[in-house]
Amino acid sequence: MSKILEVNNLNISFHTFAGEVKAIRGVNFHLNKGETLAIVGESGSGKSVTTKAIMRLLPESNSEIKEGEILFDGKDLTKLTDKQMQGIRGKEISMIFQDPMTSLNPTMTVGKQIMEPIIKHQNMSKSAAKQRAIELLKLVGIPMAEERFKQYPHQFSGGMRQRVVIAIALACNPQILIADEPTTALDVTIQAQILELMKDLQKKIDTSIIFITHDLGVVANVADRVAVMYGGRIIEIGTVDEIFYNPQHPYTWGLISSMPDLDTAEDELYAIPGSPPDLLNPPKGDAFAPRNEYAMKIDLEQEPPMFKVSDTHYAATWLLHPDAPKVEPPAAVIKRREMYPGFNNK
Amino acid sequence: METKKKLLEIRNLKQYFNIGKPNEVRAVDGISFDIYEGETLGLVGESGCGKSTTGRTIIRLYDATDGEVLYDGVNVHGKKSKEELKSFNHKMQMIFQDPYASLNPRMKVSDVIAEGMDIHGLAKTKEERMNKVYELLETVGLNKEHANRYPHEFSGGQRQRIGIARALAVDPDFIIADEPISALDVSIQAQVVNLMKKLQKEKGLTYLFIAHDLSMVKYISDRIGVMYFGKLVELAPAEELYNNPKHPYTQSLLSAIPLPDPISERSRKRKTYDPKMHNYQADETVELREVSPGHFVLCSEKEFAQYKK
Repeated sequence: MSKILEVNNLNISFHTFAGEVKAIRGVNFHLNKGETLAIVGESGSGKSVTTKAIMRLLPESNSEIKEGEILFDGKDLTKLTDKQMQGIRGKEISMIFQDPMTSLNPTMTVGKQIMEPIIKHQNMSKSAAKQRAIELLKLVGIPMAEERFKQYPHQFSGGMRQRVVIAIALACNPQILIADEPTTALDVTIQAQILELMKDLQKKIDTSIIFITHDLGVVANVADRVAVMYGGRIIEIGTVDEIFYNPQHPYTWGLISSMPDLDTAEDELYAIPGSPPDLLNPPKGDAFAPRNEYAMKIDLEQEPPMFKVSDTHYAATWLLHPDAPKVEPPAAVIKRREMYPGFNNK
Repeated sequence: METKKKLLEIRNLKQYFNIGKPNEVRAVDGISFDIYEGETLGLVGESGCGKSTTGRTIIRLYDATDGEVLYDGVNVHGKKSKEELKSFNHKMQMIFQDPYASLNPRMKVSDVIAEGMDIHGLAKTKEERMNKVYELLETVGLNKEHANRYPHEFSGGQRQRIGIARALAVDPDFIIADEPISALDVSIQAQVVNLMKKLQKEKGLTYLFIAHDLSMVKYISDRIGVMYFGKLVELAPAEELYNNPKHPYTQSLLSAIPLPDPISERSRKRKTYDPKMHNYQADETVELREVSPGHFVLCSEKEFAQYKK
């Protein structure tokens, strides 16, 4: 599998009146060709900031990429000029936003909005672009595409609007599609349709997808690999099976235990205590330590490096250090290990 | 079940908007159900199915178009004196979906919480009022110092706790929670749900829990009602509804929830629901029928025979 995108040691800060907010603190990951990488984490963990940095959509007035590189196609995206970036955005890498109500222009017909990137990036004539736009509308499953082409966003339902946004994102057959919570604003039944559509289209046009969400059910449905973010860092990354059936980081344990599955019958749900870290003054040591019942002394002093669990699975927790005491993970995690025979004997 | 007392009876409740105009909306179209004392009834369905309208109509934020809501045997709707209304508001409270929009940004937390007590005259002196506020803050897991702050100083989860404290301030018996956790992060959702469960045990509260996150609803509810286009299509004990859904819409809804379990996700088969599939004839009466004890399904006579098998 070849890497299509590589993010190395990314550090991003926002300058605010209160001081410097270190939103991203050393993020490393790569995206393989044709795969779906899900990024999960709570609000403020830095998932959206990371992807906005890839698209170079962060406001220049108050944000700063302090360090690191984003390698795509041999180029470092952090070094490109705005003009060069315009040639990539929407063509090579495109994005689907969370809220289809606000990401479409209400004063433009849907057709025009789909034609826009086609005309801009592919130098097509207007009539050819129109043909392509209608094709795209059909591709994303909108019936009566010719008539729908002339309509405005307010004439579409939420799920249909998200399909239009997907059509725009796919207009130039991008190599990478970034989906920032594309189904959070939708109903479960519509969500299932959109997820099916995205998986189907991925097979057809062979794009790689970065999928941001906080819904672990959605992750299990779409992802090949999963990165878990906390406090501006990736604290665990691995294949979807490794993260769901053999998680290593106490935060991942907490996330997985706090979601009731349909047969949870316990009296009380596991709740991660406390609240997310203040990135204005990031804590010394592991950012999760104050909320971590498994925290050791070293967690408060030194940030853990990424420990290797398998070739594809890495986690940043001192518990994986050879000298660390063996701890018993929460019951829900043990139950999950037993569900998957491969991890049972560990 | 039989020994349980009915706290709330909803009889053929209807809530139409824009009546008589071309854009008439039948948001709630003749639904009936009971809520027993001390239970949690979950109400689920897609957006626009009328679940929030049902909650809001029960608590009389809207005047019902038709039907009645009997609380302890007394109708909530219809002409009421100020005194009667006050007594309903005293017993019924609501927790809203959006913890950012439901707290007045210009009021201190202590005033937000105590507003209901002031209206109902529950605190005789200033000191008593503040002591009650402190007590409530501690009940919901915040502390005294928070009383003098303003809502913008709190995170989403903390604000929802303030919303819960406000609802508890008048010592209600029945709380309508309209998507209380939808706007919160996963790790915070569990905290709020645990808090609601704890309070229910301590104070013997009855909840109507409206949500679209079905796994959380199943976890918190004793019974669950499923709504589709203003109608209640199925009502059953939580366990029964998930293990043995009868109505095709319920089946399609359940088949659409992604579970945090990659193995089962890979073999997921989604069912689609098309209301035309029932093919109801004009002379058939479609109503809620009891297919097994406590399990009601909206169906025709013919379907009823099938479901009963």
